[in-house]
Amino acid sequence: MLNLPIRLDRNEVPFDPPPHVIAAARDGLSQLNRYAEPEDLARLRALLGDYTGVPDRHIILGPGSDFLLREMIHVFAPERKVVMLSPSFLPTVEVAWERAASWQGLRLSPPSFALRPRLLVAETCEPCLAVIDSPNNPTGQITLTRETVRAVLKNPDVLLVVDAAYHEFAEMSLRDRMSGGGPFVKLVEDYPNLAVTRTLDKAFSLAGARVGYVVAGDIFREAFASFYALLPQPSLHAAIAALQMPAYAWENVDRLIQERERVRETLDDMGVCVYPSVTNFLLIRSELPDAALRLRDRGVLVWDVSNQLPPGFIRVSIGTRDENEVFLDAFSHIGEKGTAATAQTGASR
Amino acid sequence: MKKTTVGLIVNPVAGMGGSVGLKGTDGQMHERAVALGAEPVTPRRTRDTLGHIARWDEISLLAAPEQMGAAYLEETEVPFRVVGEISRDTSAMDTKRIAAQMIAQGADLLLFVGGDGTARDIYDAVGTSVPVVGVPAGVKVFSSAFALSARAAAKMVDEFVAGAPLTEEEVLDIDEAAFRDDRLASKLYGTLMVPEVRSSLQPAKAASNVSAPTEEVKKDIASFIVEKMDPETLYLLGPGTTVRAVADALGVPKTLLGVDAVHGGKLVGEDINEEDILALFERYGARKIIVTPIGGNGFIFGRGSKQFTPTVIKAVGRENLIIVGTRHKVNRLDCLRVDTGDLEVDKMLSGYTKVTVGYRQGMMVNVRC
Repeated sequence: MLNLPIRLDRNEVPFDPPPHVIAAARDGLSQLNRYAEPEDLARLRALLGDYTGVPDRHIILGPGSDFLLREMIHVFAPERKVVMLSPSFLPTVEVAWERAASWQGLRLSPPSFALRPRLLVAETCEPCLAVIDSPNNPTGQITLTRETVRAVLKNPDVLLVVDAAYHEFAEMSLRDRMSGGGPFVKLVEDYPNLAVTRTLDKAFSLAGARVGYVVAGDIFREAFASFYALLPQPSLHAAIAALQMPAYAWENVDRLIQERERVRETLDDMGVCVYPSVTNFLLIRSELPDAALRLRDRGVLVWDVSNQLPPGFIRVSIGTRDENEVFLDAFSHIGEKGTAATAQTGASR
Repeated sequence: MKKTTVGLIVNPVAGMGGSVGLKGTDGQMHERAVALGAEPVTPRRTRDTLGHIARWDEISLLAAPEQMGAAYLEETEVPFRVVGEISRDTSAMDTKRIAAQMIAQGADLLLFVGGDGTARDIYDAVGTSVPVVGVPAGVKVFSSAFALSARAAAKMVDEFVAGAPLTEEEVLDIDEAAFRDDRLASKLYGTLMVPEVRSSLQPAKAASNVSAPTEEVKKDIASFIVEKMDPETLYLLGPGTTVRAVADALGVPKTLLGVDAVHGGKLVGEDINEEDILALFERYGARKIIVTPIGGNGFIFGRGSKQFTPTVIKAVGRENLIIVGTRHKVNRLDCLRVDTGDLEVDKMLSGYTKVTVGYRQGMMVNVRC
């Protein structure tokens, strides 16, 4: 039987990191009285350079990509208009509301949630900071193409930050490629006004380690020249070990994509309004405005998106097969009265 | 400790049209719904709500008689006192009369169960004088004055008892005959005061500490609009509380449901119709319209709007529309909508347009027709 509640609300990867990564984190624990060594930080940056295919001078490390995103907004937003998607990752949006000289949201509307390239290009024709997540959270859709990115970057007064936290899932969903490069990161060598934020939280099963990075163009590199994040020893060692043998991340991604498609098809068969996704989560539109609350009563936590989309929208992370089964069972019964006890019955089946 | 007095009023026939495909039970439609075998939906919604209220110790409850309230309480242990009398077939008059009686007997909050029509009855009876919590039980409930669900309504009652701030939300006049005809047509009927509750569902990471209360956001929007106003331009202020906030910031009175005109910071037209507007256009060259989407279905111009006719909209032009709305309201919409009755005008208005959602904050939103 699974322990309740089941957390499908934070887009974590449900699989443990492999033994060599756990062992490295333990090594790091044995050095808790010491700050991280500069050589180790340099080693991680070099590995990320190899992984992304970009010279390591473009890599900036930080405790989580969301932290780095917020730092960039703090640095660049006070004198600029900030352009973002709506919906998007809310903690980042909220910092922008607070800090930006002005804020311009671009609404992604159901059912396609597509971002019209012309709309983005038109909104970025004046000096501004555009922070665009692709794939977008919570819609799970790709929002940027290489052509759109180039069109935006043509204006040197526009700073573009692409939040690509779910990039590995998108890469494998779309092309079955297994490189870490992704569609935009290499552009940072040509465009000083581009930065791409990424993370080991997701595909690498390291959410608890909080290792994020920016693949940064020169404008961002210069602004962050004095930004020096000493990562915690266990996180640093785990990240190095993970990138030395990164194949497991792609196995994680592959398994989750298969499971995501199974869950999506099951929901689809149930007649549920579920949207296509290239990430490790699905966006669902329930007819019940309090669907998230009802699922919680049945022992399943999902993300309630009703503060950014109309009532009834929920985002569910893909868990293990057993966890997803509990979710599907709970979801098929949320129109009825029920409690966590019924969810437990579902899990033991 | 003084208890909070809550009055419970249930519209026992609300929502009955849905199961038999009638879209609403206004007027005589209720009898048709019964003839078609419709089952009442309000009992469960009412019991759900009552079952989720936690602060009963701090509440003194008044209830309308029988199936309008008391019937759902007899199976609970909650003490209550019956207010008013009803005949066998209940009607809107019962709702209005009992609401007024409850206020007279000291109700601090009215808890009502029903649809848009019930909300209009409650508005007619109490206006914004007393806060309310609406439990949605209609076929399709559009008014934003309603809670999202029975449980959300229970939480609003609890938060009200605990001293939550109030916000003004919309009651819509849905044309049920048109809705049955698959046309959405709605206009603002009035507003009700409701407790403002922040979502308690999100874990701490998402807990918003920068989102200001709705009434503050409306003031921010208004300050921004007023700062940008040109003294030589005529501004037509449409219905709604967000637009009223603009009038408040200017220090001029505003007809909540109507259109008023401002020039040079002064009121030059009050509750004006198409003819008055066209006359003003003779006097003033530059002109702009300030509107807010009607909650729920997002109409900025609908068939119900007798002042902003296609002729008026054409004379103003798309580029001179100023659309305002709180983020909270805009986020709840799939898109903005127009249905002016003139296809050419609807097409002119469609596509992405800017909505001012805060001080120096905008959102590009798609307008569909």
